[in-house]
Amino acid sequence: MNPAATQSARRDWLGIVAAVAILGAFILALLSPPDRVQGDLTRMLYIHVPTILTAYLAFIVTTVATIAYLVSRRLSWDRLAASSAEVGVVFLGLAILTGMVWGKPVWGVWWTWDARLTTTALMFFIYLGYLGLRRGISDPVARARRSAILGIVAVAQIPIVHFSVTWWNALHQPPTILRPGDPQIDTPLLIALLVGIGAFMLVYAWLVARRVELERHEAARLDAAIDDAAPVAGDAITSPSLDAATGPSTRGAGT
Amino acid sequence: MKRYWRFIVPAGLLVAVLVVLLINLSSSLVYFITPTELEAAPVVDDRQRLGGQVVAGTVVEVDDGVEFSVTDGRVEVAVHHVGAPQDLFAEGIGVVLEGTWDGAVFASDTMLIKHDEQYRTEDGQEYDPGAPESFDT
Repeated sequence: MNPAATQSARRDWLGIVAAVAILGAFILALLSPPDRVQGDLTRMLYIHVPTILTAYLAFIVTTVATIAYLVSRRLSWDRLAASSAEVGVVFLGLAILTGMVWGKPVWGVWWTWDARLTTTALMFFIYLGYLGLRRGISDPVARARRSAILGIVAVAQIPIVHFSVTWWNALHQPPTILRPGDPQIDTPLLIALLVGIGAFMLVYAWLVARRVELERHEAARLDAAIDDAAPVAGDAITSPSLDAATGPSTRGAGT
Repeated sequence: MKRYWRFIVPAGLLVAVLVVLLINLSSSLVYFITPTELEAAPVVDDRQRLGGQVVAGTVVEVDDGVEFSVTDGRVEVAVHHVGAPQDLFAEGIGVVLEGTWDGAVFASDTMLIKHDEQYRTEDGQEYDPGAPESFDT
């Protein structure tokens, strides 16, 4: 088997494992007991928390890959950074949407400008800006270098978002698991949540693997297009002749 | 060395912008004040948000809404809320109220539920709304 086929087979397996994990997480989320206060509304937790944690993971991967690019100057690291940020923005958007759907019945509002929601919205738009910045530069090397700064600095928002609920009085509840002291969640609910986190991260890994592959093909196409000596559009057109003996320009002189 | 400066200078500027933004946002990022903060620096007749835990045994339904007290574990504030309370409103739950303070009663017209970080099963018996520590900042 050639290396590309091995890689593709590995990727397909990753996709199958991710799909099974999501199915398992979904079943656990439905079977887990309801929360004493929120009842069934608490099931949104099993999607909301995994999506935001996956977005954190994605942006950390972007930062690490960007640093690896700056050290090694290999464009494959830059492609990983871009792919991870793109998938991360999708998961962050899902986290915001699921949070809104949960917020309406529990808090009473879809959205409010408390510290957690404001900093999360800021993070969403800054990473959209990172993707926008990349689209504005066509040269792969210049794109990698110029977007590296934002790719690294933007990760500083993760602690700001995470600790926003501790630093400022916020409507959003403080962390349940990633906190000093015991997790504030009963075991059956915790199991469903942890399986959900694992499943969403597998889906992330699969999506990033697909996205990196696409980026690699795009880069290969671009290289081939530049190297190719094939005729380009316009080759068939010859420049106008200035020869006085033939052509339309002699008509006036003949009469 | 020059290469590194070309990275460090824009990165430093970007960090500086983020820091300035956050310092300036800081006051507006505080979503509500606690009863202790209201008592320490009372602002009368201005719209503000007050957060606290509903004190058990103080909830009374009235014609135009509901009356109760909120606490952060140290100070209790009497609240008169106009309108229907939220679905999850109950004794011991956290609420954030929007309205005005006249020196004696907080007149609220908007109620949001501040759910805490505990997730408990119905038979787990571990959920303990007794300590309003999330409001004791």
